[in-house]
Order: sequence, then C-alpha cells, then structure tokens
Amino acid sequence: MSTIETLQGQESPEGVRAVVLATIRDYGFEKFIISGLPDRGVDVRPFVLLSGWDPEWYQRYTGLGYVHLDPVARNCFTTTLPFDWSSAPYDREADLPAARVMDEARDFGMDQGFCVPVHLEGGMQGVVSLVGRTDWLNEKERLELHMLALYAHGRLRFLNTMGVDGRRRAITPREAEVLKWVAIGKTASEIADITGLSARTVNQHCENAQKRLGTNNRLHTVVEAIRHKLIAL
Amino acid sequence: MQVHIVRAPVSEGMRPLMEENYRLRHKIFVELQGWDALRRSDGRDVDAFDNEDATHILVTDGGELVGGSRVTPLNKPNLLQTVFNGLLHGSLPADPSLGADWTRFYVRPDRREGRRRSPESAALFCAMMEYALAEGFSFVTFVSSLSMVEHGSSVGWRITPLGAPATVDGKATVAAWIEVSEQALYNVRRATGMSGALIPASALRRRQLGAISA
Repeated sequence: MSTIETLQGQESPEGVRAVVLATIRDYGFEKFIISGLPDRGVDVRPFVLLSGWDPEWYQRYTGLGYVHLDPVARNCFTTTLPFDWSSAPYDREADLPAARVMDEARDFGMDQGFCVPVHLEGGMQGVVSLVGRTDWLNEKERLELHMLALYAHGRLRFLNTMGVDGRRRAITPREAEVLKWVAIGKTASEIADITGLSARTVNQHCENAQKRLGTNNRLHTVVEAIRHKLIAL
Repeated sequence: MQVHIVRAPVSEGMRPLMEENYRLRHKIFVELQGWDALRRSDGRDVDAFDNEDATHILVTDGGELVGGSRVTPLNKPNLLQTVFNGLLHGSLPADPSLGADWTRFYVRPDRREGRRRSPESAALFCAMMEYALAEGFSFVTFVSSLSMVEHGSSVGWRITPLGAPATVDGKATVAAWIEVSEQALYNVRRATGMSGALIPASALRRRQLGAISA
C-alpha cells in the first residue's frame, strides 16, 4: 500500500516511471508502456503517457503504426479485464500484419506480458502494458498490478492536465484573454476596442499563442487552447 | 447544467426529481449493471440508506436528470460497513463522524457517449468535493470498480485503499477513501475545467440552520 502513496506523491512522469519500474520488478516485469489508444489510422505518439520500452522497438512500433495491427492493443477495446498478451485473439494464418507485430516483438524479447485496459470517460481507451512472464502470477498479484496500473495511468493523466511536467507550453494571461474573445467571434479591431490594446498588439498576441501551441492558424489555436483548458468559455 | 442538493425533508418541488432519481438508479444499477440484489418490482432502487440522513447530489440539464450520487454518514449504519464489509481490512483514516460514504454514482448512459470527459460526471466530482468541504468532512469513502481509482487520480485526488482489491461479481472492486481538502477541490476543478462553485449557498445554509435547531 505504501507504493500507492509514493506514486500519488510524484510530481513528474519521470518520478512515476521510477516508482512503477521499481514495483513491477518485484512481480518479475522489466519494461512497460502507458498510453492512450488512438482511433484507427491515427498516430499513437501524442497519446503515449510514458514509455519504458527499448527506444528501438518504441521507434518501430510507433513509427510504423503497429498499434493498429497489434492484437494486444486491439483486444483492449473488447474487454475491461486485464489479460495476458498470449490470450489476445488473432488469426495467425489470415492476419499476417498481426502475426508480424507479434513475431517482431518476440525478436525484441517481448513475447510475454500483462495488459491492463483502461476505460476512460466518453469511450476513450487507454492501456498499461507490462512486459514479462505472467504464468506464475496469482489472482491476488494480478489484482495488485491492475490497481497499480490504474493509479499510474490516473496520476500521469493528472500531471498531463496540470502541465506540471512543463511539456505543454502554456500561454500568457494576456494571450488567453485575447483568445477568449477570438473564440466568441470577435475581430481583432473589436478585441482592441474591448481590451484597450491596439489591433496590432491583439494580432501579435494571437501569433505568439500560435507559436507557443505549435498551431497553424487562429482557429486551430483557439481549438487547442480550449482542448487543453488554457481558456474557459 | 445545475446541481441540486436534496435532503430530508424533501420539498414538494423536489419530489418528482427524487422519483426520477430512484427510477434511473434502478435502470442503471440493476438493469444495466446487473446488481441483482437491488432489484425491485416497482422499478425503483431505494434501499435502507435512502433515509433521512442521506444527501442526494443530483445534476439536471434543461430540467432533465442526467446524473446523481448519494452521500451518507459513516457514524450510522452504512453501505460500506455492512454490504461491503468484506472489502475493509484497515481502519478509517479518522473518526467516522468526520467522513461520509459516497455511493450510487451514475451518469445517464446516453450522456456518456462521444469522445469527451462527460461534463455530467465532472459536475458530480466537483460538487461532491465542494459539498464534503462545506460539511467539514475530512475524508469520503467509496466502494467501486477499480476504474474509479483511475478517474479519481486523474483529477488529482489522493485515494487510499481500505483493503486489497477483490473480484466481486466478476469485477475488480476496491473500497477506498478520498482525502477531502481545498487542494483536492482546486485540482478537480482545474482538471475538469470547472470554473467555480456549483452548489447554491442556500442549499448549504439550510443545513446549518437545521443543525442548530436539531
């Protein structure tokens, strides 16, 4: 139980990584990944919360869109219960891409593992997958790992929303104020009248926010700012 | 969306909403989730803890009930220490009078669809913490499927298991307590994008007057 307490006190993904790794080692696991699962065809990389995989396998798996072929990842959409990788169903004869992912994983020494599907609100799906032997795990240990996985996933989501890890670049209060007016359809000159800034400064704030968020245009900036809760309407 | 705090005595105006609450609970917990012990022929989920000590936190949207949950005292007979006693291995973090049991959390199923954090559930989370703080509780217990641990952690709540997780009716289930604090309220509001208070001050004031006269 003290692991749970330590986990909840972590203020960075790296801290979470250290606690998870130290704990799963006691259960015989060496590597893990914690991620959201994207819709078909969507790049998984922005969804990854924490990777404890070999960098080489990670590059290959994420770069080649393996998440959409992997029977383990697919099985997360069909069950709420944790499962062994070996019990993720696929047709080895007919589903060659799935067989390829499983075979390549084996070549990277990842032929067995324990997978905890994470069901989020609104049909979103996440996963915590541990790499290692599972045949000697008993029911009690499986439940403990299940709970640990959910605490870790939740903590990472929290750190992500709060931007505690500093990966998400925030916008300044002024930029947020300007974007709020943009979001309700005001033009630059209208915003200038409301805020007392010059139209040029208003535009400058928008462009700065765009740079900070890595967005392509004003609409995209507003959408991202809302999505990341940088502005509230 | 509007949050209602409903307590005994239930006012005339609130009765239809409470009736809807009991029917929706039956539909969700019995008919959809298969909690058969709660099944009643009248299609209303009402148990021994829906008594004068219970507080119902209900969320409506355009006059329709879209979510709810119930808070009951821990220093009187409660669900945690009766039905779910088998899940308790440790003791409560403080005297039972300082805590409450959070039960029957639900969001109307059609409001759970789509790819978003359901605002109904965000409102219930925020309102529960707001209510618990206002009532002076220091902890809130719950029994739930393990996924609650993920949802709670993701809004920055400190959640401590009261026992090892166990499989109940095929579902991984745990009893745990949530720390009630200003920080927990701040975190859940920030994580859900909720900007301020949800519970009308009048709902809390009424309680204070009641406490004095009692």
